[in-house]
Amino acid sequence: MAAPLEISAAESDTTPQAPEGLSGKRIEGRSLGQIAWLRLRRDWVAIGGGIFIIILLLVAIFGPLVVQNPDIYHPNLINPTFQGPNGAFGGISLAHPLGVEPQTGRDMLSRVVYGARISLLIGFLSTVLAVVIGVFFGLIAGYFGGWVDTVIARVMDVFLAFPLLVFAIALVGVIPTSSFGLSGNVLRVTMLIFIIGFFSWPYMGRIIRGQTLSLREREFVDAARSLGARGPYILLRELLPNLWGPILVYSTLLIPTNILFEAALSYLGVGIVPPTPSWGAMLSNAVQNGFYYIDPMYMVIPGLAIFLTVMAFNLFGDGLRDALDPKTR
Amino acid sequence: MRTRKLYGFGALTAAAALALAACGSSGSSSGNNSTPAATTHYDQALTGVVNPSTHKGGTLTFDESSVPDSTDYQNTYYAFMWDFVRLYSMQLMTYKSCPGTCGDTLVPDLATGPGVASDHGLVWTYHIQPDVHFENGDVVTSQDVKYGIERSYAKTVLPNGPNYYQVLLKDPTYAGPYKSKTPLTSITTPNATTIVFHLAAPFSDFDYVNAIPQSTPVEQKWDTGKYGGANFQLHPESTGPYEFQSYTLNKQIVLVPNPHWNPATDPQAKQLASKLVFNLNVNQSQIDNNLLSNYADIDAAGTGVQTAAVRDKILTAGSTEHADADNPINGFARFVYINEKVIPNLHCREAIEYAADKTTMQDAWGGPVVGGDIASTVIPPNIIGYQKFDLYDALSKPNGDDAAAKQQLSACGKASGFTTGLAYRTDRPQEVAAAQALQAALAQVGIKTTLDGYTSGKYYTDFAGDPSYVHTHDLGLDMGGWGADWPDGYGFLDELSNGNTIATNGGNTNISEINDPTINNLFKQAAGQPSDQDVSIWPQIDKDIMAQAAILPMVYQKVLLYRNPNVTNAYVDSYYGMYNYAVLGLK
Repeated sequence: MAAPLEISAAESDTTPQAPEGLSGKRIEGRSLGQIAWLRLRRDWVAIGGGIFIIILLLVAIFGPLVVQNPDIYHPNLINPTFQGPNGAFGGISLAHPLGVEPQTGRDMLSRVVYGARISLLIGFLSTVLAVVIGVFFGLIAGYFGGWVDTVIARVMDVFLAFPLLVFAIALVGVIPTSSFGLSGNVLRVTMLIFIIGFFSWPYMGRIIRGQTLSLREREFVDAARSLGARGPYILLRELLPNLWGPILVYSTLLIPTNILFEAALSYLGVGIVPPTPSWGAMLSNAVQNGFYYIDPMYMVIPGLAIFLTVMAFNLFGDGLRDALDPKTR
Repeated sequence: MRTRKLYGFGALTAAAALALAACGSSGSSSGNNSTPAATTHYDQALTGVVNPSTHKGGTLTFDESSVPDSTDYQNTYYAFMWDFVRLYSMQLMTYKSCPGTCGDTLVPDLATGPGVASDHGLVWTYHIQPDVHFENGDVVTSQDVKYGIERSYAKTVLPNGPNYYQVLLKDPTYAGPYKSKTPLTSITTPNATTIVFHLAAPFSDFDYVNAIPQSTPVEQKWDTGKYGGANFQLHPESTGPYEFQSYTLNKQIVLVPNPHWNPATDPQAKQLASKLVFNLNVNQSQIDNNLLSNYADIDAAGTGVQTAAVRDKILTAGSTEHADADNPINGFARFVYINEKVIPNLHCREAIEYAADKTTMQDAWGGPVVGGDIASTVIPPNIIGYQKFDLYDALSKPNGDDAAAKQQLSACGKASGFTTGLAYRTDRPQEVAAAQALQAALAQVGIKTTLDGYTSGKYYTDFAGDPSYVHTHDLGLDMGGWGADWPDGYGFLDELSNGNTIATNGGNTNISEINDPTINNLFKQAAGQPSDQDVSIWPQIDKDIMAQAAILPMVYQKVLLYRNPNVTNAYVDSYYGMYNYAVLGLK
């Protein structure tokens, strides 16, 4: 991590007598953010991932205004005996550009678009939760050290060693269809966000703890301390601003992990309540009920959606890390 | 009292495993006579005998994807085992071995005739054939029949079988021959060929109860030592055409002809193959491929071909496999129970009946072939008492009648619709799909449903089968299914619609909570007269249930069975919806 040397040209009292460039352009000091942006801009793979993410966000937000109702059945588009869609590639037609679902004839495009909403919603919010918890405990453990650190580090070890998937399946099975004043999918989504977020914070916590451990020994922290700054001030004003880099990078890398986890839970039948579309549930339906054989597209399309989304986030996250901290390249 | 008949665990889920090429490890097959003598056609075994033959010899191979609950005839509740045990046992009564609905006919087996009821239906007397022998040569006596039934009371040792004798006979506290010092008093044996049952209340279907494998005779001396009690299933004492040669648990059963069996005393069974091999725990996709490639003759579970690749091959019209397949109704009906307490207004319930799209629900169950036929009645067509009627135009307007539904909604005072819960089992893919299909169809007329999924393990004990849970959670619609323990209207309808079967705390089978004086009286009337005279009552009850809109029938379930071309005398037993295993032979 780079040191917080945010000394801009305007602030220093001795303006360096830098030689004017041949083009006559003045050489300016650049902020860390600017440098990172410059580096990121050159990384077209990361930019590609970023553009895909933006498109995906737009689709998730505005797509449902455009596509048709994902819950409408079209039994006439299905071969009743074999249950697969009529026509090639899963029944692709002008009305159904990605074809239709086997057995029901529901429009695939709209189900994939609605599925993006669920995946992104759960992926983002659970990551936010994980980051908040992880940063909080990571900072405390790293800064205070001693027994506080020992306790928090052991708790994180326990969380990391936990058979998460098994626990999540059991928990979702135990919680009734309506509780905490919520019911149906609102309850399910909330629960999934909490389960996933609550179990992925130690990854963030460990990284932040490590960074804090090294940062707290730095001169600027000593300086702040010698000027009389106390714990909370140092944590929030001195340490946290220097941790935005890793927080941003690892959040971006945590999102796809959480999207995959949601897909896995939906695949195992403990995710979203049907008929709300979910990529994982579609994949599960295709594989576990044997639809992949009569209609391979039903497996390929949600699989591709998950794959591309996860890859886009990973590429963007990698690029972001390289841009913020070229040493790890 | 009566429990659901089990159609082999887990077989309802289509196998997800890849279609393995059959590498033939599962059992020695019969002679490879691959030249079919006569042409066969699709569904041929539903109405006639395919490859009738008296040719003896060969090894008949059964494959089973799981294991039986028990091979002990007093301790099994699996439909395929009830079919299979006839190969090594005789009961007081049995079903006639003939194709079509003729197979629902009850005929005497070990008995010389149907039971004779006296004392207002409280005493039932059977005379048994004097010259039937056990596999050790001993003559079967009425005392042996009694001892067999006594065994079925020993629930701590033999827990799986049904409980009809305990409920119907006078001696409910008897604990079976292993625990009780004194014998059962409600069955008496005046002489070696007479057995008398003393009932607590008249029960006209008692002959059907005696067709359940629990009435198989057992010698008390056999039920001791190595093959006693729970280990009896390792070598059940045979009275049928075959006897156990070996049984390796979870792996294989081998049966060989019983030398003391006399075909004259047991006309419903045949002794054609010279050996029967029953392979257990065979992967379902391997079974399906074994059948096609002749490594196995019969898929014992009777739940049909599950592997998509094999299914598609069979369903392709004109293929050779197509001609060797049958698509029978298996006696299992799929319903949505409409709870009369949660949705008390008849018109609101009728709106649901009209609005439901029967085709999308049929597709959810697997379509017309592996799913089933669209149902318009409670009783399925292979049960005595079925009468076709179509009160809510399920057959004439299978996509639902939204106009009629809206009319009923206005009559109900909820023209814009209403909201109710829909319970289903999350681990049953077809039920999940059917629930979504119903939800989508009802939404078209404004009836909003919230899907409430439960695991199947506690579905009937804690959720859909617990009326107070149903009421507090507003579960107006509950998915379920039903198969009867014997093929007549009583066996099918009683638990679903008799007011006195509503259980208040869990395990309720009358999930609609039908408690209608007319229906209750019809059941009383039926119980008081011989079972062949109450045939006209069942359609009346069926119509009453439908008129109340208490049950929304989805499908009469069907299975896709493949009959190996080498197998002779193959036909579908109408009641079991699978091949009659007692008469099969090989070319």
